Amino acid sequence: MKHVQTVVREAEPAGPGVRRLTLMDPDGWPLPKAKPGAHIDLHLPGGLTRAYSLCGDPAQADRYVVAVKREGDGRGGSAFVHDALAVGDALGVSLPRCTFPLAPDAAEHVFVAGGIGVTPFLPMAMAAERAGTPWRLHLLHRDAPPLPDTLAPLAESGRAVLHDTARTPRPALSALLGPAAPGRHAYCCGPAGMIADFEAATADWPAGAAHVEHFVPPPLLPDPEARPFTLVLARSGREAALPAGAPLLPAIRALGGAVEASCEGGICGACRVRWLEGPPLHRDRVLSPAERERDVMACVAGCAGPRLVLDL
Amino acid sequence: MDVTPTWLGVVTHLHVTPRAFLPMRGMDAIELVEGRGIVGDRYMIGTEQGFYSDKPEDGRQVTLFEEEALECIRRDHNITMLPEEHRRNVTTRGVPLNHLVGRRFRLGGCLLEATRLSFPCKHIEEILEKPVFDPMVHRSGLNCRILEGGTVRVGDAVRPV
Ligand code: FES
Repeated sequence: MKHVQTVVREAEPAGPGVRRLTLMDPDGWPLPKAKPGAHIDLHLPGGLTRAYSLCGDPAQADRYVVAVKREGDGRGGSAFVHDALAVGDALGVSLPRCTFPLAPDAAEHVFVAGGIGVTPFLPMAMAAERAGTPWRLHLLHRDAPPLPDTLAPLAESGRAVLHDTARTPRPALSALLGPAAPGRHAYCCGPAGMIADFEAATADWPAGAAHVEHFVPPPLLPDPEARPFTLVLARSGREAALPAGAPLLPAIRALGGAVEASCEGGICGACRVRWLEGPPLHRDRVLSPAERERDVMACVAGCAGPRLVLDL
Repeated sequence: MDVTPTWLGVVTHLHVTPRAFLPMRGMDAIELVEGRGIVGDRYMIGTEQGFYSDKPEDGRQVTLFEEEALECIRRDHNITMLPEEHRRNVTTRGVPLNHLVGRRFRLGGCLLEATRLSFPCKHIEEILEKPVFDPMVHRSGLNCRILEGGTVRVGDAVRPV
């Protein structure tokens, strides 16, 4: 599956309530490429996955750096990263995905971050700096900022401005952003309230010039036909509720079902499974209409009904 | 009538990677181990790490790809794909890979048996951020078993037996 094996090489505090992890291939091999602004899922015990923006230097191809803030709501992901994960531990991660890229044709970037929402902007700022594109980062934080060591040189250069809202009045985003201008792109990552303010402040900007990233990035766009359904493995009786567009193979495996896969694109035939109830949404290119009455290629399939029961 | 094969090809690039999804690394020479795979590569039998897409299998000890297919993908789809991006171990020129299924041939001093055509992996589009899955269907190279191992170098001949 989309599972990149890494090892925790460094783990250290990086600002209040923040733990920074440096993840590397077990042999230090280069990792799959990540665009500035990309995030990865950490595959945590118990089937938990949590998405975090990469916050390291994108020029360092052999590591993924993430900064994990302890979540107050008791969800297990950040607590595990803070309390249980140790240097030397193995950790599986997803391939990087970028839903928050730098606009390639921008003449100028303005980044606005709230607290730990600064993470995607660090590699974006480094990339903009190397590309020679002017940029500015405004970080709104309370008391000590996250990732102080990474931010310090950026702040010294004058291009990153830290606004401690515990000491100074919270600045208006419209004042930080300035007016819309040809080639000027604005980006915001932070809590929901800040994103709402940002969207209001950029409401009259040209289409496509204002970009937002929520703390928890949205999943890849599901197929418009996709709908949630219950996956059932008939032989074990185990089942799971799948959200719309969720890929089937990892869900089958999480339930203990054994299914081969090779192309994961519906052309090789490796993941053929017999279905008992559905009907499945077939998206493969190998099965004939008659075969589809009985079998399904799990790697690309969905379900048209409320339950997909597989002979596994 | 049996037609005597007349082709003669050459190894233009060699690549390995130790695990699924990691970038391929260009090599001047690689070591083929009879019945197992390439030293340091993810398809080496006996190094299973539990990843399905790149799981070692008997018929996929070494994989080959035609440099000509890269040119086709550029010509027909206007997509530039580099030799380190197709994720096969051996890039060849002048070898009709699709015609070799079920046959034996020499790769440098090694003897290979072609087991089946390769399939592209859908994840390659995510890794490369290029829409290459469809263009690669039916020209995604060849999977082979190693009958006689040894060192293969860039520039080595590929020829029928
Ligand atoms: S893995 Fe190839 S068709 Fe599903």
